[in-house]
Amino acid sequence: MNAIHRRQFIQRVGLSAASLPFLMGLPSLGLAAPARPRQRLIVMFSPNGTVPTAYWPDETGADFKLKEILSPLEPYRDRMLILRGLSNKVRGDGDGHMRGMSCLLTAIELFPGNIQGGSDTPAGWASGISIDQEIKDYFQSREETRTRFGSLEFGVGVTDRADPWTRMSYAGPNRPVAPISDPYQMYQKLYGQLQDKEDLKSVLDSVREDLKKVGKLISAEDRKLLAEHQALVRQMEKEIAEAGRQKLRVAPPTFEAGIADQNDNVPRLSRMQIDLLVNSFVNDMARVATLQFTKSVGMAKMKWLDINDGHHTLSHEQDKNVEAVTKLTKINTWFCGELRYLVDKLAHTPEPGASGTMLDNTLIVWTNELGKGNSHTLDNIPFVLVGGGWGFRMGRSLDFKQTAHNRLHLALAHGAGHRIDTFGKVALCEGGPINLG
Amino acid sequence: MKRKFHAGWRPLVTGTALLLGLTQSGLAVTDRPVNGQAVYRRWCVNCHGKEGEGVKDKYNGALQGDWTLEKLAHYIDRKMPDDDPGKCAGPQAEAVARYIYGEFYSRDARARKHPARVELARLTNRQYVLVVADLLQQFQGPVAAVKETHGLRATYYSSRNTRREEQAFERVDAQVDFEFGTNGPAGVAATTNGFAIHWRGSVVADETGEYEFSLKTPNGARLWVNDDETPLVDGSVASGTTNEPRASIRLIGGRAYPVRLEFVKVPYNFKAPKNPNSGIVLQWKPPHGASQAIPARNLSPERAEPTFVVGTPFPADDSSAGYERGVGVSKAWDEATTQAAGEVANYVLKHLDRLAHSKASDTNRAAKVETFCRGFVEAAFRRPLTAEQNRIFVTLPLTGAPKLEAGVKRVVLLALQSPRFLYVGLDNAQPDDFTVAERLALELWDSLPDAELRRAAREGGLRSREQVAQQARRMLPDPRTRTKLRYFLQQWLQMNRVEDLSKDAQLYPGFTPEMVADLRVSLNLFLDDVVWGGTPDYRRLLLDRDLFLNARLAQFYGLELPPAAATNEFVKVAADPHQRSGVVTHPYLLAEFSYPKSSSPIHRGVFLTRNIVGRSLKPPPMAQVFKDADFAPNLTMREKVAELTRPAACQACHSVINPLGFSLEQYDAVGRFRAREGERVIDVVSNYPNDDGSVVQFKGARDVAEFAAGSEEAHNTFIEQLFHQLVKQPVMAYGPDALNQLRHNFVNSACNVQTLVVEIATLSAWHGCEKPAPPKRKS
Repeated sequence: MNAIHRRQFIQRVGLSAASLPFLMGLPSLGLAAPARPRQRLIVMFSPNGTVPTAYWPDETGADFKLKEILSPLEPYRDRMLILRGLSNKVRGDGDGHMRGMSCLLTAIELFPGNIQGGSDTPAGWASGISIDQEIKDYFQSREETRTRFGSLEFGVGVTDRADPWTRMSYAGPNRPVAPISDPYQMYQKLYGQLQDKEDLKSVLDSVREDLKKVGKLISAEDRKLLAEHQALVRQMEKEIAEAGRQKLRVAPPTFEAGIADQNDNVPRLSRMQIDLLVNSFVNDMARVATLQFTKSVGMAKMKWLDINDGHHTLSHEQDKNVEAVTKLTKINTWFCGELRYLVDKLAHTPEPGASGTMLDNTLIVWTNELGKGNSHTLDNIPFVLVGGGWGFRMGRSLDFKQTAHNRLHLALAHGAGHRIDTFGKVALCEGGPINLG
Repeated sequence: MKRKFHAGWRPLVTGTALLLGLTQSGLAVTDRPVNGQAVYRRWCVNCHGKEGEGVKDKYNGALQGDWTLEKLAHYIDRKMPDDDPGKCAGPQAEAVARYIYGEFYSRDARARKHPARVELARLTNRQYVLVVADLLQQFQGPVAAVKETHGLRATYYSSRNTRREEQAFERVDAQVDFEFGTNGPAGVAATTNGFAIHWRGSVVADETGEYEFSLKTPNGARLWVNDDETPLVDGSVASGTTNEPRASIRLIGGRAYPVRLEFVKVPYNFKAPKNPNSGIVLQWKPPHGASQAIPARNLSPERAEPTFVVGTPFPADDSSAGYERGVGVSKAWDEATTQAAGEVANYVLKHLDRLAHSKASDTNRAAKVETFCRGFVEAAFRRPLTAEQNRIFVTLPLTGAPKLEAGVKRVVLLALQSPRFLYVGLDNAQPDDFTVAERLALELWDSLPDAELRRAAREGGLRSREQVAQQARRMLPDPRTRTKLRYFLQQWLQMNRVEDLSKDAQLYPGFTPEMVADLRVSLNLFLDDVVWGGTPDYRRLLLDRDLFLNARLAQFYGLELPPAAATNEFVKVAADPHQRSGVVTHPYLLAEFSYPKSSSPIHRGVFLTRNIVGRSLKPPPMAQVFKDADFAPNLTMREKVAELTRPAACQACHSVINPLGFSLEQYDAVGRFRAREGERVIDVVSNYPNDDGSVVQFKGARDVAEFAAGSEEAHNTFIEQLFHQLVKQPVMAYGPDALNQLRHNFVNSACNVQTLVVEIATLSAWHGCEKPAPPKRKS
């Protein structure tokens, strides 16, 4: 983990601290229509592998039939790309789950370390940046695509533990990015300054009055200093009023209070986070987001589906255990349902300041750390793309037959206009970006 | 070797008020009195302006300084006017010199024209941080001071699990600096379940600033500093081979902070890890220091309570007068105070129930919170609130907000944005008991009055000069006074301007960043020892031959440590009095005022002139670059400098600077004593021109130190700098005789620094209180 300056840390997470520069006139919310259509990326993660037989269509090409797990996306069939045959070929330290998770978006080896999995050698953090952060950095480096946060990392039911099983986003080698699992915390991060602004506004008037009053007690010579101070306070008031005129495109969502961050609340937490995610995109606070359901080896107990077993335990059951396979299919279908909710929201929200909908300019990648739970294979990692705006020809089911997933990441980077030659482990990039056009 | 220094320093002598009478009588008296003003208008006004303020592109600077009248006349006689020297000579030069001197040149003239006064000032940045820390501390119960510093309390476990039954033993570890190899620590049963160690206690920060903590370990470890909840450094995942997780935190010097370090070595059940070793080093890089294992003298097994330290960066304070003053406001400062107020508000909200001594379930929680709010505002304003103030600063913000917490936030924001918090001296016109208390606390501590001082103010215990002095004496041993005094001494010795003391590695092998850090500690320990250990005599600062050394330093400087001394710890060692004389010969300062490859008599001389001997130098009009290559290689540094500064324009200042600098030539660029420079024996004899025209011969550093120890100018400089550091106001504002009086008492107290601090604090706290007004409440 790199040096985090405590002061910067406070500025990053402290609400007032973070909000003040914002009040002082950072870029506005971009009410004007963008010169080029906006491009957005969401990476959604669910753990423990899929049920291949209930997931991959039998056909390739434009004419394919969705199986049970992907069935919730039926209305968006022509806006999907199902990418079979992409494999996480990164080897080295760490067990399958660790590499599955921490190499999923980084596509590079883990450092040697002290975290011992259920097999293999112990390992540490990933040794490179993840593709979501790479694209975020690219967007943030250019004036026309820069946003307040650049990227937002949402979590649902991720345990409060930092290790290679719980982190898929990396700002760089040894720099895992923690997802925020608490929607209230995310809300504060996104909208805390609104309340701060109100509080500050309410006191500045009194401060100015007080300065005037105190000025009467002191000599004329000393009063000059207070007069200067008074002018500064007036200036700040003006700037806050100015900032207040930069209206948010949409108001922040209203939440029920006190939904605790625990297993049984996962369905509600999921919807809260998705609402916040879409909301933050409409207000153009970020163009990249990750949405991480639990973690690799996640043990969510989906009682709301009448499933009382932990997800990871179930995923180890043999294929012949029909009951387990049924449950796992149900679980994965539920995740797809959450994806559907996200896609629906984007499809029903007009693209701000432009024609079309948000979905036209947003690409969602739904993925998983394993191809299949009971074999712990890193081959055939589930990758489903939904949405548009990245120059990919959608509405197809493709099979890349054992292609390194680095090449998908390259395709994503190129889709964003970021023309890098390699991403992650260089040797796995041969052939360049996979062709999705 | 290139480094800029300035040729053409103008020597200016302080204390001219006393010299005036002498020098005037020395002037020639002529038959026909010459009108100095008329001469000035004729020859001088074109370049120097009507009031000597200067004329752009002719003579830019103001015509003011500390030369004696005699010297001024002599200079004009020979050099003026600039385009035709000699034209304004003899009686004309004397007359115009007298006119200039009396009208605007001399210190007295300037004081008469622009009398110094006690100005309204805002809190300096340093004060802001300390005030806020103590403001919140007031509501968190008494602070248990850390008594002993000799390591951290350690608990060793024979398993990665830290259950009680797994505990192997407890002990105090002087440092956390361990290589356990592949077997683990001795005494911990080797099991297949790994092992764990927890360290607890406090870390003591010497100086205020950013501290970078890091954990050097191939295993997992987490470190908490000044925060019991969130780890500062989370290295529970070891990753990579060269990875040392690190993070910085701002700490206030002179205080202890709670630390906790949890280390775990996990078992590897499957395949061997790349690195089977275990071990851990708890390191820090303090301000001006080097990254190294935290020494035992900064660790305590006792637990301190957390201190709130503002993280918001503030724009630097004005220090154009030689000390930080809160005399200006700017947009950046206004934004910083707003942001800092927000930071404090967030902290208060997070810890509201602890601060308000309430519980979420209390039926009277709102009342308790309101009581806290009132106390908070009163502490911030350093005085009780009137009913009207209570309404404005407590009731209205609380009732105007949608929720209790939002109301508290507004109370904090409002209080910390109010001029009553941010400014000092709003009551200067009519000081009352609380003004006196506020002044004492800021002067001695840069902070808020403590409970005892508040009680004294409330109960009329600050109504006489003696009562005020008594309080000052009570406050003296507090760690905050020590910290402030050390900060002053560091400023006096210019220790806080140091950026890089590194020297040429070929010429001075072994003079590593760790050595530089050790030297700073050594100097700090010496300063503390003089002021607080035994006789606090200013002259000891200049004359003591003791050096504080650890093994590393002793070896480098060729001194012997007592055989029993622990290698990492510092021990007071008596050096040869011919070689060492107080701060004047402390290697840290000698190295500071040196080039990377050689000594620098000019840097050393300027430092001694200004800060030790107490003569002031004006910035020169032109800059020169010293290039070693310009000189014949067989010349000594002394010869090179003498050659470079030979022109008359340079000699005006260098006649003073050089002899002082040359007297330290027996010390190389890292402060080691030497008799020779290369093949040449060092010439230590130098002739120093005293203000009175006499010449003093110095034969080395100790002579300079002894001269300064008995010099009125040196005393004045020390006292004045201390006054400014403590009070943040010009000493002249406290009456024309204030400095003389302080010096008189100082000399009579055998140059007792502690007594001087009490005198200064009392003088300024009591200013304007000769007829004390009854405690007054203003709205």
